[in-house]
Amino acid sequence: MVRRPGSGAEAEKKQPNVEETVGHQDIPVQVMGIDAGGTMTDTFFVRADGRFVVGKAQSNPGDESLAIYNSSVDALAHWRREVDDVYPELVTCVYSGTAMLNRILMRKGLNVGLICNKGFEQLHSMGRALQSYLGYALEDRIHLNTHRYDEPLVPVSRTRGVTERTDVQGKVVIPLREDEVRQAVRDLVALESQAIVICLLQSHKNASSEQHARDIVKDELEAMGVSLPVFASVDYYPSRKESHRMNTTILEAYGAEPSRQTLKKVSDRFKKHGGKFDLRVMATHGGTISWKAKELARTIVSGPIGGVIGSKLLGEALGDENIACSDIGGTSFDVALITKGSFAIKSDPDMARLVLSLPLVAMDSVGAGAGSFVRLDPYSKSIKLGPDSAGYRVGTCWADSGLDTVSVSDCHVVLGYLNPNNFLGGAIKLDVERARRHIKEQIADPLGLSVEDAAAGVIELLDLTLSEYLRANISAKGYNPADFTCFSYGGAGPVHTYGYTEGVGFKDVVVPAWAAGFSAFGCACADFEYRYDKSVDLGLPQFAGDDQKAAACATLQEAWGDLAVKVIDEFVNNGFKPEDVLLIPGYKMQYMGQLNDLEITSPVTTAATAADWDKIVEAFETTYGRVYASSARSPELGFSITGAILRGTVATQKPVLPEDPDAGPVPPESARLGSRPFYRHKRWVDATVWKMEALKAGNHIVGPAIIESDATTFVVPDGFETTIDKHRLFHLKEVK
Amino acid sequence: MNTMHSNKTMGGSGFADLLGNGQTLKQYRDAIIARTKDTGYYNGLEKLELRDSDPIGYEKLFSKLRGGVVHARETAKKIAASPIVEQEGELCFTLYNAAGDCVLTSTGIIIHVGTMGAAIKYMIENDWERNPGINPGDMFTTNDCAIGNVHPCDIATIVPIFWEGRLIGWVGGVTHVIDTGAVTPGSMSTGQVQRFGDGYMITCRKTGINDEPLRDWLHESQRSVRTPKYWILDERTRIAGCHMIRDLVEEVIRADGIEAYEKFIFEVIEEGRRGLMNRIKAMTLPGKYRKVSFVDVPYKHPDVQVSSAFAKLDSIMHSPCEMTIRNDGSWKLDFEGASRWGWHTFNAHQVAFTSGIWVMMCQTLVPTQRINDGAFFATDFRLPKGTWCNPDDRRTGHAYAWHFLVSGWAALWRGLGQAYFSRGYLEEVNAGNANTSNWLQGGGINQDGEIHAVNSFEASSCGTGACAVKDGLNHAAAIWNPEGDMGDIEIWEMAEPLLYLGRNVKTNSGGYGKYRGGCGFETLRMVWNAQDWTMFFMGNGFMNSDWGMMGGYPSATGYRFEAHKTGLKERIAIGDSLPLGGDFDPTHPDYERHLDATARVKRDKQCITTEDCYDNYDLYLNYLRGGPGFGDPIDRDPKAVEADLNQKFLLPEYARKVYGAVFTQDDDGKFVVDLDKTKARRAEIRKERLARAVPTRQWMKEERERIVNKHAATQVKHMFATSFGLSEKFTKEFKDFWSLPADWTLTEEELDVPTYGSKHRMDLSLLPDVKTVVQVEE
Repeated sequence: MVRRPGSGAEAEKKQPNVEETVGHQDIPVQVMGIDAGGTMTDTFFVRADGRFVVGKAQSNPGDESLAIYNSSVDALAHWRREVDDVYPELVTCVYSGTAMLNRILMRKGLNVGLICNKGFEQLHSMGRALQSYLGYALEDRIHLNTHRYDEPLVPVSRTRGVTERTDVQGKVVIPLREDEVRQAVRDLVALESQAIVICLLQSHKNASSEQHARDIVKDELEAMGVSLPVFASVDYYPSRKESHRMNTTILEAYGAEPSRQTLKKVSDRFKKHGGKFDLRVMATHGGTISWKAKELARTIVSGPIGGVIGSKLLGEALGDENIACSDIGGTSFDVALITKGSFAIKSDPDMARLVLSLPLVAMDSVGAGAGSFVRLDPYSKSIKLGPDSAGYRVGTCWADSGLDTVSVSDCHVVLGYLNPNNFLGGAIKLDVERARRHIKEQIADPLGLSVEDAAAGVIELLDLTLSEYLRANISAKGYNPADFTCFSYGGAGPVHTYGYTEGVGFKDVVVPAWAAGFSAFGCACADFEYRYDKSVDLGLPQFAGDDQKAAACATLQEAWGDLAVKVIDEFVNNGFKPEDVLLIPGYKMQYMGQLNDLEITSPVTTAATAADWDKIVEAFETTYGRVYASSARSPELGFSITGAILRGTVATQKPVLPEDPDAGPVPPESARLGSRPFYRHKRWVDATVWKMEALKAGNHIVGPAIIESDATTFVVPDGFETTIDKHRLFHLKEVK
Repeated sequence: MNTMHSNKTMGGSGFADLLGNGQTLKQYRDAIIARTKDTGYYNGLEKLELRDSDPIGYEKLFSKLRGGVVHARETAKKIAASPIVEQEGELCFTLYNAAGDCVLTSTGIIIHVGTMGAAIKYMIENDWERNPGINPGDMFTTNDCAIGNVHPCDIATIVPIFWEGRLIGWVGGVTHVIDTGAVTPGSMSTGQVQRFGDGYMITCRKTGINDEPLRDWLHESQRSVRTPKYWILDERTRIAGCHMIRDLVEEVIRADGIEAYEKFIFEVIEEGRRGLMNRIKAMTLPGKYRKVSFVDVPYKHPDVQVSSAFAKLDSIMHSPCEMTIRNDGSWKLDFEGASRWGWHTFNAHQVAFTSGIWVMMCQTLVPTQRINDGAFFATDFRLPKGTWCNPDDRRTGHAYAWHFLVSGWAALWRGLGQAYFSRGYLEEVNAGNANTSNWLQGGGINQDGEIHAVNSFEASSCGTGACAVKDGLNHAAAIWNPEGDMGDIEIWEMAEPLLYLGRNVKTNSGGYGKYRGGCGFETLRMVWNAQDWTMFFMGNGFMNSDWGMMGGYPSATGYRFEAHKTGLKERIAIGDSLPLGGDFDPTHPDYERHLDATARVKRDKQCITTEDCYDNYDLYLNYLRGGPGFGDPIDRDPKAVEADLNQKFLLPEYARKVYGAVFTQDDDGKFVVDLDKTKARRAEIRKERLARAVPTRQWMKEERERIVNKHAATQVKHMFATSFGLSEKFTKEFKDFWSLPADWTLTEEELDVPTYGSKHRMDLSLLPDVKTVVQVEE
């Protein structure tokens, strides 16, 4: 299947006059993206001229490298090229996948042995109480009897405590008792541990006891002649909050090492076929890291982040520095904001129902999506969307789905938004009458509405939920939507784009023609970037002396220095020179005594003087006033820096965007597929149906119109118009 | 945004016409009450015009407002410095209509559906519109427990919302602060026995104009509490949230029109009323459910040091509850027979009861976002005047009203459990709830050299009651917060000069049963880096407040462990053994083996104490309770008993005694339960039970003798005497039930205990110029 902005497989077969893509063997293929999902493995290749192809193959949990190879063969066949020719041409390749996440969810990791403080052996298996409702919809979060804990990653039986305590200020109160560490190691080895994790309380503040324990563990293992990987939390995630730090370090031992073996296999297969590039993996902080990177747990989630990175790259191409990224899938709606060209990072997120200590691109999700089930609350008769969804079973409109509960897709089918004969390129035929019947019984009749008005009401309600969410997220960060361009992607995004952007007042609304494959594209756009964080505790009164300020700067600078060594080491491991690395310092700051900090990209590249401190404070206060309102500023409490951050990047090849010639506003007649009835605002209208792949740069389309491709449907209702630009991005506007 | 409106009043005389309709707020509210009373529908809304004519538009309004209120809470809480607010989420924002009825509320402490409404109603009844005046940009602060607050540490900021110069509603924000400047530190302190020691008390005071707090307020309030830094950031959290919600309302009105908004804010309350009734109808079986619960008030002990001799008294709270579910889904909760309020801090205002109860109900009966005052209007409360849940004296203390509420509501939870069970909803059954304690509190000079107070919220993660199909959850939730969380040690150590020496599941704390209650947990703390430090205990010790269901046991009661002159400094230095981890089996104490022989240890059932001094290296055990069990323990799957043994959730002695398990322990310490022998042993237990049993009538006869002879502990007699003193009905029922002689009486006077307050009392309503708001049948 050929996919590029502007020419999908169908279009090419039907319209050979569209630009021929084969026969350009001289144009090198530069970038490869991999999305290894649970069922399908997608590969995505981009040429130097911005054209791309997508390949698909059945995933192979036994050997992912084989599925990637098969998928590559499938993709490159469209260009009539061979893997052995293309792999050597590639400059860069980024992997994203769900294998590690699944390993965690299914509890199929290594037998980890845990060493913690004596008296705290149950800490990990107890978990934080909030883990009993993490990931729950709002109503289940308050519904007590639905709460449950997952199995701990490490059982208490494989946990040993050692006498030690360090206090909150970093002072060692009870020194480490070495013999207990040695005994713990012997026990854990006898229990057939495959890795040992060490996490002591307050080690982020003073690492000495934990590092000492780590050295003893290694020494004892050596004395025993046993080779086991050892993970001390301070070497990996030295941040405050022991449950987060412990979970993450365990994750590293439990799931990341097996994943590294998988990635090594993938990398070896690339090498076998002539690949010269170093395989990189999409990481939670929004950059990519080498498969050899020390901290691989941060690759646990990658797919959704891709969209944010892709939006950032497109934003740079369009000159937009404020972007609202919106990704609507079957079950959820994810929102991320790029402000002044950068996205926000959450430093203690949760994933797989575990609290973690990883920098994660801040995304907020609503549990309502294009496939959500629609029900009436039996008690109040209010319409409830989700939290469960029809998923791949689409809705009751698919007779073979086995479903009889109405989904959002059913509403779309009934209203003419979706083509019942071209769902997934015609792979599934949808039964409009079946959907109508169910909507009538379940929603319309109980509410006293017509089927159309009930279905339209559901869509409006979902769109409103999404737009309010989008709006709230923007205003919560202290911004106005008028400063933002909204990017809409995900398989179902373009059906809802008009609905959830209407009236919000965005500067521009952009739908990429490759919306369905946007996340894979985004992964390939990511920088080669390491990011390391370190807790620091710096507190200064509002009016501190110059020497105090300079001393604070020195402490911060020292932390950046420590982090720089880690970051540069990683790049050196991948064959870069230290001088190739661009270092971007940042910090986390709060008013003294607060528990939440804000992450700030440092206005100074090095911190030394009182003037530097003032700039650091000013940058914080500006951000704070914007996020929480100026009246919430509390400078009289003084300022504290809680964390130092260092990001380091090196230049990489990114996908090139297509640059098509302007073909004028009138779409070619060949792109017109006909028309179909479409219901909105209490009336049926005839919407023109267009073939997305056949539209050309510069074409202008006024609603009501529906622009179809195999993987997505872009709805332009009356009152809206859209233009496709040279990069094959649709710009959606409300007609005033 | 609001701008000052010059035509409004500022403490002068005259009529403000805030509503723009010629009515005072009181006239407006009275009319709503009258229409509700006359028709049975909130505000007479038999038809929900907006909802019926435009169900989608109505849902959209709901979605916008509710989403905005929840979002405001999430954003604003990050301003706070207090782990209670930021980690535990002890804050809540609520939107009210102009009459002070709750339209919708955020997540969080849903207790406050009605408490701030009660404050608004108090302002309405007492003509705040004339003096001090209600204007756009004003802020009012309240925490007065005599007009509806649960306890003084829940500080509320209330902001009026105007539209085109007309008052259209209110928004309130509440946070649970860490210290209220009470006689002793901590937000729910013991030691005081009256309102006058309960801390800084603010009665709907105007504390800001033009969206800015007044300086006199800022200065006075911050020096009235021990922890001004937490105080001021909490206030900024509340203000920021209220203003976000006010902006949201204005935005919604601009988009949807004032007419739709004003219809919505009434219809949604009527819808909430019907919603609760529909739930009750669907989930329960109509009828009368009668339950009771108790909890200890052990004030006679020398470690309870109070300023008033008349408070030195051991007693018991009595909370009988009759839940009547009617065929139409409405219900009545009647607490006739409850014991009298007392000289302690556990008294609860009627609104603390009628409003607070929804935080429990939303965990089980109505787990929905659509909680508002509609639920209150579907419920008849009967809280007799003079009882602990509706005091008739203006001197009462309320700092830890939860001691009684948590205990009293356990009976309700069991009643509901029985109603679900009868209807077949086994999954919804809870055998009750944990007594959410201990409360570790105290203060002094902390590790930063500042005056400080602490109040650990680890109690938000107690064990939950067993369900009828599964065990309760370990260390998971609280009756006042379904989203419990014990938080990270590394965060608590920032807030408290107390070094953790252990955190683990509390063995044997979950009530035994076919399905056992969730276990609680315990944390051992060593005072560290403090100066002039004090702490105290707060929880149940001598009595269970939960009971278990259908043969399930209550959870373990509390006990206290504290140690002074421990010698730990030296023991650490020389590498000697140390007390680390759990107090595994309190009957065979182990901590003491790792302390110097000279150590002064207190290990007893006295779980309420007052401020006592602690030096560095002293120890304090914070034990958070488990939940009650469901069903006969000898019906428990032997493999589940084995798992509990191996996870140290259960002591071997009780596996034998209570569960009838027969087991061995291998060399690695692993327990293996023998299925056949266990089966045989359980058969024996059944026989032993039969051998021990006596016919009910015979047992009652013996019991009756004891009653007639008043052969009971003084505390029990005192409890009943206060109930008898308040309720003739209860006295009659009691006497009829036990066939007591007509002249049998039991009075406080005959007990030789302090009776101060038993006869002479003065209610707040008797003060001149005060109109109290009564929302229950008294």
